Amino acid sequence: MDVFDNLLLGFSVAFRPDVLAYGFLGCLVGTLVGMLPGIGPLAGISILLPVTFGLDATKAIVMLAGIYYGSQYGGSTTSILMRIPGEAASVMTCIDGYAMARKGRAGAALAIAAVGSFIAGTFGVILLMLVAPPLATFALRFGPPEYTALLVLGLVFLAYMSATSLVRTMIMACTGLLLGCIGIDVMTGHFRYAFDIKELGDGIGIVPVAVGLFGLGEILSTPSKTVTDKVKPPRLRELMPSRQEWQQSALPIARGSVLGFLVGIVPGSAHIIASFLSYAVEKRVSKTPEEFGKGAVAGVAGPESANNAASTGAFVPMLALGLPTGPVTAVLMAALLIHGVPPGPQLVNDHPQVFWGFIASMYVGNLMLLALNLPLVGLFVRVLQIPYAYLYPLIIMFCIVGVYLVNNSIVDVWIMLIMGVVGYLLRKLDFDPAPLVLGLVIAPIFELSLRQSLVMSSGNWTIFFSRPIAALLFAICGVLLVLSVLSWLRRKDWREKLAEAEAGEK
Amino acid sequence: MDRRQFVAGSAATAAALAAAPVGAQEVYPSRPVTFINPFPPGGAADVVARPLAAVLEPIVKQPIVIETKAGAAGQVGAQFAAAAKPDGYTLLMHIVSISGFAEVDRLYGRPVKFTNDDFIPIARFIADPMVLVVNDQQPFKTLKEFTDAAKAKPNDLIFSSSGLHGALHLPMALFLKSAALDLKHLPTNGGGPALTALLGNNSQALCSSIAAANVHLRSGKVRALACFGGQRSPALPDVPTLKELGYDIEFYLWVGLFAPKGTPDNVIATMRQASKQAAANDKFVQAMKNLGQDVAYLDQPEFKTFWDADAKRVQDAVRAIGKV
Repeated sequence: MDVFDNLLLGFSVAFRPDVLAYGFLGCLVGTLVGMLPGIGPLAGISILLPVTFGLDATKAIVMLAGIYYGSQYGGSTTSILMRIPGEAASVMTCIDGYAMARKGRAGAALAIAAVGSFIAGTFGVILLMLVAPPLATFALRFGPPEYTALLVLGLVFLAYMSATSLVRTMIMACTGLLLGCIGIDVMTGHFRYAFDIKELGDGIGIVPVAVGLFGLGEILSTPSKTVTDKVKPPRLRELMPSRQEWQQSALPIARGSVLGFLVGIVPGSAHIIASFLSYAVEKRVSKTPEEFGKGAVAGVAGPESANNAASTGAFVPMLALGLPTGPVTAVLMAALLIHGVPPGPQLVNDHPQVFWGFIASMYVGNLMLLALNLPLVGLFVRVLQIPYAYLYPLIIMFCIVGVYLVNNSIVDVWIMLIMGVVGYLLRKLDFDPAPLVLGLVIAPIFELSLRQSLVMSSGNWTIFFSRPIAALLFAICGVLLVLSVLSWLRRKDWREKLAEAEAGEK
Repeated sequence: MDRRQFVAGSAATAAALAAAPVGAQEVYPSRPVTFINPFPPGGAADVVARPLAAVLEPIVKQPIVIETKAGAAGQVGAQFAAAAKPDGYTLLMHIVSISGFAEVDRLYGRPVKFTNDDFIPIARFIADPMVLVVNDQQPFKTLKEFTDAAKAKPNDLIFSSSGLHGALHLPMALFLKSAALDLKHLPTNGGGPALTALLGNNSQALCSSIAAANVHLRSGKVRALACFGGQRSPALPDVPTLKELGYDIEFYLWVGLFAPKGTPDNVIATMRQASKQAAANDKFVQAMKNLGQDVAYLDQPEFKTFWDADAKRVQDAVRAIGKV
């Protein structure tokens, strides 16, 4: 009853016309920055932060949070239509979303992404409301050893990632992991492979690499393709997903929502990990894993839901403990602080208007985003009908400007251009760039948490098995490895039988 | 028009053209001013720079653009500002750690990219004393209990920091050296993660700014043992300073505004005057109060004196950490 009363208070705040207007503005800006390659929610929020100084705390947080979760909706659009991740968490959507678009199902992919995001976002808000405080305390137990275990689990899943062969996947993943080693060694302060370029001190950015490998690589390889490879322009009638596509996406959306939320509440995790874990899980449980990479509906529905749930989950430690889980929540926290509303355990009691107004506004915001994104599907799909000669130069320009804006760094632009050429070569040689990006994401955090764990235990590796959560995660890794060995053995069995049968026929 | 007239006219025109930029310079700023924020958005310099920019804009009558150039713990942004054209249109917001980069580079035998002499201080806005905190799962109620425990079992307790040679590492290094203690160092990638590690008991001690730890101090999740200020902080009147406890250590997380070396005096004067007005502005004071800070404004001469003394402390701390 208590929650209900509070929510009522929240909605009374969220439905005030001015709050509603700022929420809408936030969602709109979020959708836009999500779509533009490079410019992510971080840039959007920090640019608009000073604008909110004149507002009260509720309006400010409603608008800024709108940008944040709105960008998770928008990020899928360019991924599906042009294979350019609008922001880092949309990398996974590039794979099957773009493949669906090439089959003329761009509308369906966009609609599924929007609906999946809506369901996951709403699910996240409900959980945030009901279980935030206990869950946040639990999330604190995720120290370096647990995080290491989670990333090992991620690496095990990497093997399921790709549509190409295991060897190719591993080559790409290892290249990514090696690239991820570039930068300052956090433990000793030595520069590694930086060639005296200070900008490389923090390592190679994910955004320039992802935009280069996926987007630019795709654009560069277009002129050499035959005309038959052209994107099938979708007919208006076919914009919405079919009944079968809805059925295929229902379970992935549900799994992605739960998984994304759980990953989101872990302090320090990135949304991209949520979406990539979801993709790997979907591929693992799918009856038709061979369809992944060729336009599997589940490959869009799962990751898109997961990154939205993760963005909501990230609010749990921020609101309940006053701890930022990542750069975006750090800016949101700073915004709350500047408005005199310190996030933390006392927030719910000290500022119920802000807290419940914020929660309620997220319900409303998710509805607004759905209303904003679904009708636009038809419009976005038209983009594909623009001749390449006009479309691609524009996209390249957006990519360069967007990537530059992330850190105002020209080095990032060079990285993107080089990665564009690499992406072109990889496409020609039939390598899948996704594992490379994931290796790049995982390497620095894996190294940091592994070495942090060993600092904590003075170099004793048993720390990974003496802590229950870490031990459980490692056990799951073990089970997965055993399962895949078993299925490999069984397949060999089955192959032998087939070979025998074939031999018998002769 | 005879030749003489022509020459005179040309000379006058040339003089007028030559004079024009000089005239334009006198009305600095005549276009938007960029503040470089060398840390990620929401970081220590950013949260001061944004409210400051909001109150500075009506004073200088030009937009103030905050450009984030994060990287290498604030070194990338500082280096960029040091190399910028010294015309007053690129200024730098930086924190206490600005004095450490040159020393770290020397320590590792790398070419020194810039030193404090490459910057002209303009004003200091806040200076929050650091506070040594432990989490609530530790039994220590006083600094003595803490140091006794650490002495009894060297390299058992862990302290977290915002990163090697970062603003949360330096004061701890000074204290550990002064108290002759050995603690394990758990570097993380920012102030938030360092605090998260403390709250989750993955580390047991942390040097934090009072502002960042305040919420958790009030909820009892962390306990303050000692303060790094010259006097007790009004926010924590019951916490003794290190000086009271017999350690000659002071350390502040301060934020100041800098211009690259060679910036004209009239430009510096304008910015000093504008900063003084902004620091006294109610809106700015209130914004800092909300962050848990009191404005600790210092004008250029006092800031310079403070900065010189502070740089010594930072360099001592870097040397105390040594090459890892």
